[in-house]
Amino acid sequence: MPKGDMAGDMAGDMAGDMGGDLAPKIDLQGVGKRFVTREREVEALQPIDLAIQDHEFVALVGPSGCGKSTILNMIAGLLPPSAGVVSYDGAAIGGLNRAVGYMTQKDTLLPWRTAADNVRIALELKCRAMPWDEANERVAQMLTLVGLTGFEKHYPAELSGGMRKRVALARTLIYEPETLLMDEPFGALDAQLKLLMLDQLQDLTRQRRMTVVFVTHDLGEAITLADRVVVFSARPGRIRAIRPVALPRPRDVFRIRFTEDFAHLHESLWDELKDEVTRGTEV
Amino acid sequence: MVRRFDPIVLWQIVVGLLLLAAWEAIGDISGGMWTSRPTLIAVKLAGWLQGSLYPHLATTLTEVVVGVAFGVSLGALAGLVLGRSPIAAGILRPIVVAFYSVPLVALAPLFIMFFGLDMLPKIVLVGTVVFFLLFFNTFAGATSVDQELVAQIDLMGSNRRERFQKVVAPACSPWIIGGIKTAMPYALVAATTGEMLAARRGLGFLLSDAASQFDMTSLYAVLFILMLLGLAISEVTAWAERHLLRWRHAQG
Repeated sequence: MPKGDMAGDMAGDMAGDMGGDLAPKIDLQGVGKRFVTREREVEALQPIDLAIQDHEFVALVGPSGCGKSTILNMIAGLLPPSAGVVSYDGAAIGGLNRAVGYMTQKDTLLPWRTAADNVRIALELKCRAMPWDEANERVAQMLTLVGLTGFEKHYPAELSGGMRKRVALARTLIYEPETLLMDEPFGALDAQLKLLMLDQLQDLTRQRRMTVVFVTHDLGEAITLADRVVVFSARPGRIRAIRPVALPRPRDVFRIRFTEDFAHLHESLWDELKDEVTRGTEV
Repeated sequence: MVRRFDPIVLWQIVVGLLLLAAWEAIGDISGGMWTSRPTLIAVKLAGWLQGSLYPHLATTLTEVVVGVAFGVSLGALAGLVLGRSPIAAGILRPIVVAFYSVPLVALAPLFIMFFGLDMLPKIVLVGTVVFFLLFFNTFAGATSVDQELVAQIDLMGSNRRERFQKVVAPACSPWIIGGIKTAMPYALVAATTGEMLAARRGLGFLLSDAASQFDMTSLYAVLFILMLLGLAISEVTAWAERHLLRWRHAQG
């Protein structure tokens, strides 16, 4: 059974594969996080090392409460690490990291804005200064892409959970951040719609060469999209295994699940994950 | 909305008419010294509506509207600023709470001495009452803005002003509108109370003037007008709330 030391080796190998002397886009060195509640201290994440390369698509998988979302929060600069350093483009992150677009687990749509107005918000900001017509055109394109044509004028309260997720996705993708952080973005979608969204996400992020850190509890989703899958242990989170996904791109998200390579990878990752999932639920 | 015939409405009208008839009968039997009579009141109102009522009504309405305008803008602004700045809130909020502990209507004599007998002292009184209600409501709203919404727009690259305009202020709008809804009846109370103490015009003046002359018919007539005014004010604010916050009432 592979342990932490093996995970470390894999990470080293990957850094080599991705081009050796290239500095990583996102670099976590000895990064840990403790939360102090009223009476006790909870260790959410044991110190981990993880380097994510430019344009890489990395999926973080693990039982709930293993600190995956905490990692995203630290990369976004919303939360300081308790130990270690999180660097972005070689510089330690203090304050907010505005190079990232962050799609949180809770859809953070503005309830007073319609779907279209929510999607447009990033384009309204002065730092982009986009002409109104152009912004509206892109909003319409984006809504078509996520399959929400006809719902432009609906408020979030009038949309289903899955629709709200898609609005949040459109809102994050529309301003093309160079790095995308996604926290279980498709949890609320039905299986068919999820595949459609995965397909769109693959197209968009690969076309625009975004760096993506994607948190999910769905191994299949992770393998379908990612260049590397990182499996976390149950709380306190540690990296249990890192596996490259060698499947060629572009991947046919609708059929890739039935290939042999996918099945092998799924099985070996599931072996890593299943112990942790059962441990995680014993709490 | 489609209006259909509703038996409840019919019964409401019947009960209302019965109450008026009973009032009329009591006035008839007792001579109407203390109770007056609905018919006399109606005649009095009809006479006032020929013209003499309007300056009084206009005075009270002006005091309410101007006082509310000042109280709402200053109260909401103070609530937003203190709600978003923990340091300013730490220093100033106890002072605001201390001032609020004074029964505000008790300030009326002070304002009358400061600002004379016309509309100004009543406007200040209305403004003061409304200010506090708006301040506390907006403050509660501003401190409870969802930090995740703020973080989202910050990550998108907003500046302070955009964050305020696009997230903080709209997030507080239900609290501000709720504050206005609560404050409107108090504004009418403050205006009429001020007028009852010292005034030359206004519905409060009309009320205390009628009482001092034991003119029960006029007194009931003013009360009736105040009732209609109160109803109109709460209807208008309820309508405005529904309209402005339709995103909240939207259902999937």
